[in-house]
Amino acid sequence: MELGAVVVVPAREDLTTAMLEAQPHALAASENRRPLYSSRMPILGNDALRPWMDCIRKLGLQSLWLTSGSRDTNVARSALARFARQGIERLLVIKLKSYAEMDLADLLRFHCESRNPVTEAQDARGQLGVCLLDHLALQATGEKYQFSCAPTDSGRTPYQFRGYAKRILSARERQELVGDALTGACALRPLGTQIREQVWIGDGADLASSVRVIGPTYIGARTIVRAGAIIGPFASVEHDCVVDCGTTVQRSTVLPHTYLGPGILIRHGIVDGGQLEDLDWGTVADLQPAGLGGRIQQHESRRQAFSEIDVFSPPGRTTAWDFAPSSAASQPWLQVQL
Amino acid sequence: MGLCSLLRRVAAVAPGAAVKTVAWTVLPFPCGSSSAGRRALRKELLKALRVSGSPVIVDFSGCRTLNHEDIDLLLECVAEVAGRDTQVLFVAGSRVNRVLLEVTRISSLVPVFNSVKEALAYPQIAAENDAEDRRAS
Repeated sequence: MELGAVVVVPAREDLTTAMLEAQPHALAASENRRPLYSSRMPILGNDALRPWMDCIRKLGLQSLWLTSGSRDTNVARSALARFARQGIERLLVIKLKSYAEMDLADLLRFHCESRNPVTEAQDARGQLGVCLLDHLALQATGEKYQFSCAPTDSGRTPYQFRGYAKRILSARERQELVGDALTGACALRPLGTQIREQVWIGDGADLASSVRVIGPTYIGARTIVRAGAIIGPFASVEHDCVVDCGTTVQRSTVLPHTYLGPGILIRHGIVDGGQLEDLDWGTVADLQPAGLGGRIQQHESRRQAFSEIDVFSPPGRTTAWDFAPSSAASQPWLQVQL
Repeated sequence: MGLCSLLRRVAAVAPGAAVKTVAWTVLPFPCGSSSAGRRALRKELLKALRVSGSPVIVDFSGCRTLNHEDIDLLLECVAEVAGRDTQVLFVAGSRVNRVLLEVTRISSLVPVFNSVKEALAYPQIAAENDAEDRRAS
């Protein structure tokens, strides 16, 4: 039976919904809207897509289709129907909203044994965004199936996952994942050189001699840390950031291309450009008007959609799926060779 | 008195302790002032901190968020009271302000409260603790 795989990167408008599902009270309680983290934002230098690609490769697949999610489920349905027409009899759909150390072969086995048209993986906290669809489900998508991994129907038996999983769109779980990866509590490893126990530094990172790095900590590629700064413990400063003199970052993540001003304290939160989501106070503060932080402008070439694909897929190894209707043009499909 | 308001209440009421009166000066911190307004606010704040022997409570409840001029002024206030008897307290008024006061480390120099009511209770607690200490000795 021919198997296909699709990875859906949630579009920004979908992220709010996903976060509401994950933490309804947290969002309602916060005074400011939470920033919309992309699931492609690196975690300790790793693309969240990479572990899923490795899992899919282990299933023996040569390629996967990559797309972004949209509220327009009609497009997705037509795409699923197209898979069916192309002879795909079983389709693995992964919505990139979680990191899960899942044995997809076991999910496949469960799906075959339970004989459901759709099997959705879930853990104790709900769906993980991983589904398997049979050709029957693919053909019936127009009536029944929603691409966004809809709540499990009572008739379906979900695949209960009991391994390690974190929702990467939730700031709190994302930070937990960072801590677990830095201490070896999960399989994810920081992308860089380990300079001492539980301290990793990415290529081209520039640390002043007076910088104090307290493990477990990760400092990403090309990041500059200026004199007197303290990084760690449980800190992740991703690539192309600048941490100015005397600033302390602990139990926090600084997302790529972020500037942190001098002498400030980031204690338990996620900073994305000028936005700080504080995990203790459950609110988002804008650092920019206070002159405490901001976004470092990236080069135009790095601003493309799916730019991270360049890292692991050299030119010529991706294929755009030019499918009708034309409304789908804003929702590109890329075939990624594994 | 301008923006200031003065509150007086009996602070220490522990049995056997001397009853003493504590006064607080509460200064609302307006949001998005013009440069003239900001100059006036600065003058008033620094004056209150210089002349007041009682605790000064700066209340940001009317201010949704703080910009760099606000932060500069707060740091000036902190510097003004450093090494003096005057105590300054901040009322964040919002979680955003609270976060910004933590990020700038101002909260490690000045006690920060969620409401004026909480801030008013602070010297009272201190006074009660003093009375406890006196009783114990």
